[in-house]
Amino acid sequence: MNVIVVKELRKEFKIYKTKKSRFGAVLSLFSREYERKVAVRDLTFQIGEGECVGYLGPNGAGKSTTIKMLSGILHPTSGTITVMGYSPQEERKKLARQFGIVFGQRTQLWWDLPLRDSYDILRQMYKVDQRSYRQFLDRYDHLLGIGEFLETPVRKLSLGQRMRADLAAALIHDPRILFLDEPTIGLDVVAKKRMREILKELNEKQKKTILLTTHDMDDIEYLCDRVMVINHGKMIMDGTLGELQKMIGLPSMIRVKFKDRPRVKPLDLSEKVTVQGDEATILYDRHKTSVPSLLAAVGEWGELLDIQMAEPEMEEIIRRIYQSESDGLLKTV
Amino acid sequence: MKMYWILLSASIRARMQYKINFLLSAVANALIMVTEYILLAAILLRFDDIMGWRIHEIGVLYGISSASVSIYRLLAPEIHNFEKYMIDGEFDSLLIRPVSPLTLLITRNVDFSRLGGLTQGLLILLISCRGLSLDFSSLMLLAFYIPIAILSGCLISFALGLMTATLAFWTQRIKDFQAFTLYAPFNAANYPISIYPGWLKAVFFTVLPVGFMNYLPATYLLGKGGEHIYLWISPVFAVIFFLVSLKFWQFGIRFYHSTGS
Repeated sequence: MNVIVVKELRKEFKIYKTKKSRFGAVLSLFSREYERKVAVRDLTFQIGEGECVGYLGPNGAGKSTTIKMLSGILHPTSGTITVMGYSPQEERKKLARQFGIVFGQRTQLWWDLPLRDSYDILRQMYKVDQRSYRQFLDRYDHLLGIGEFLETPVRKLSLGQRMRADLAAALIHDPRILFLDEPTIGLDVVAKKRMREILKELNEKQKKTILLTTHDMDDIEYLCDRVMVINHGKMIMDGTLGELQKMIGLPSMIRVKFKDRPRVKPLDLSEKVTVQGDEATILYDRHKTSVPSLLAAVGEWGELLDIQMAEPEMEEIIRRIYQSESDGLLKTV
Repeated sequence: MKMYWILLSASIRARMQYKINFLLSAVANALIMVTEYILLAAILLRFDDIMGWRIHEIGVLYGISSASVSIYRLLAPEIHNFEKYMIDGEFDSLLIRPVSPLTLLITRNVDFSRLGGLTQGLLILLISCRGLSLDFSSLMLLAFYIPIAILSGCLISFALGLMTATLAFWTQRIKDFQAFTLYAPFNAANYPISIYPGWLKAVFFTVLPVGFMNYLPATYLLGKGGEHIYLWISPVFAVIFFLVSLKFWQFGIRFYHSTGS
């Protein structure tokens, strides 16, 4: 079952030019001068129940805009959205009970009050009964460890604690969908790892549908079976991690150390060979070339001392996508 | 409505975390307004009256205007500070809840320092009423009507504030507008509207309708040639104006365009 259905979604912003003068704001109200900026164009996708989808793209690509439209914060210029059968624009308040949202950059908690007060307010806002509320506190104390800082004012929490507290706040009404906008931003390695494990559990054990934006490839690799990549407001790829890797055709790499300077012969099996002193680096496509035949050919260049093999890194894949998109190299999507 | 009280009490508790700050700003606020009134009184005492309005009569106008604005700024400060919600995109946070964004907005950061201004306004009303030379029944009617006038004034200032804030959905910035839509009219309403030229009078009874708050009912209550019906017109107008501002706000929200991440 699809819980999120998006069809031909488009969002344009009109940016009115504001004069810098004393009464610039007053004047801008009457000025018809504006720039049209397309933030999201012709976006079509579905997300099924229980999926965990990584939503990638460089800054300003339209990720946040998409999430804001899905959650009813922004109205689309055209196209349709259905989330759990609701239209985010027409039925915003009803839909608000169906999802939880976390903005990594901004807390949704009551800054000056103890964490417990925030949960208490949210409990009443979402009309959660006492029994479910106690279950909620139990469950997320267990999973997120919120119990240890429940009485601490939010402003005194560490970033890692605050992020967990925010995540728990998004779960208070037990929503089936979670929108997470950079949930690991700014966290240290330990806190990041913990956050990932929590999200994994939410997705796998509690069957929450998760749409996640992040710049951290480890998040994606650990959590998401599916990735959607957006750039300049356009979807440039929607598939599995493996497909992403394949589409980019990012080469695998072998680094070979020779006893002496290698006598390099042309190699039609590889994409590129670079030699530095007694070391050669060979890039090749794992899907076309078999490693043994490649090694056999390289073995003829000289006496081998050491062989290192490396798979392409996620970061590199993403960098290539963004780059090829802007260079117009990526034709078939 | 229940949610309003829950959120309001949370906001009050949050404010109570900073007691000293609260006390200092309340005192400062009261001092500013007292100074303002002493200046006004000094001028009035010299001239005896302004266009037939004596100092205590002007005190009534002043007290109503000042108490109204203070209550509005006390209970809904974030409408006045709405600009920051546009500039930081903080308004996003108000749109993800199953509660109206306006309820969430007005319950934030209750501004107790305005209690200073409120106290000052009420004191001036008290002093002015004692100084008036009215017969007993007129005085009772005035005392009975003052809360209604303050309430109307609150609605009108709230509505003007909300409409100004709504402009931010298009312009992002509203500080420039507030000079026209709040400060100027409410300062003007400290004096009888009859002293202003005709076009300005028209403005104060239409687009910036502060005249309804204190001047119009006062013309009857203080025997300045007003009609009895004015006592009814003011609150009814205030309610209508308030409802119109809510509609305008709801219309404006559709144009919210947030900020980058």
